[in-house]
Amino acid sequence: MKRLLIFACLALAAMAAPQQFQLNLDSVAAKASDHVDVSLNAATLQFAARFLDANDPDEAKVKKLIAGIEGIYVRHYKFKSAGAWSQADLEPVRAQLQGPGWSKIVGATSSEDGANTEVWLHIAGNKSIGVAILAAEPNSVTVVNIAGDIDLESLAKLGGHFGVPKVKPADKPKKEE
Amino acid sequence: MDWLEDELRRALAREAPPEGFAERVMARSARGPSGARRWLAAAAMVVVAAGAAGAWRQHQGYEAKREMMLALRLASAPVDRIQSEIRGITQ
Repeated sequence: MKRLLIFACLALAAMAAPQQFQLNLDSVAAKASDHVDVSLNAATLQFAARFLDANDPDEAKVKKLIAGIEGIYVRHYKFKSAGAWSQADLEPVRAQLQGPGWSKIVGATSSEDGANTEVWLHIAGNKSIGVAILAAEPNSVTVVNIAGDIDLESLAKLGGHFGVPKVKPADKPKKEE
Repeated sequence: MDWLEDELRRALAREAPPEGFAERVMARSARGPSGARRWLAAAAMVVVAAGAAGAWRQHQGYEAKREMMLALRLASAPVDRIQSEIRGITQ
């Protein structure tokens, strides 16, 4: 009975937030030399937003950007040597993105540095309710899950602000899927 | 100098305390601080506690903001990269 109750709770939680997936990247983490792990739910985001300066144009943009976000979950791993991780390590995440609602909107692979970037959207009705970003480079892996509605154009525009390095034309990946 | 010595001797002469002095001191110390002082101490403690809680909350807020900015930075870089690629293809 207790097990049934736990299962029901987990099933309900999964149904409540289909745009959120498990960032089960233990095998990647085990090989990484350095990692960043950020998990912010809606309440924490709202709390953090109160400390953004509305008079600062950049911070005002961030406030607007996060207005529709219910959660942001990031795992970023760095490796000492190239090839320390394999694509198979990302399979647990990719398998979840094969589920209903998720669709890959864009993917790019660079023949120059071997970087592979994918952006997935979780669509419900005609609205985007979640985003998944997989950025895999020989020396680093970044997996991002944003629950809620976010304007990707505005997110990209954060590049060059707050210390975000703006992608230069020379850094562009070569191949588009 | 005799008059000075006499004055000093008189001023510093040992004198017995007035009747009941020790009892009055003991009774006063047993009563503890007055009600007003107790309230003042409690109010000071409340002010200090509220100030500390406010400072802690502000610290947590700035920490949450820092983490949010870090998450957005990490999310922004690949999207910016892929968008630059798309822009390069379409132009």
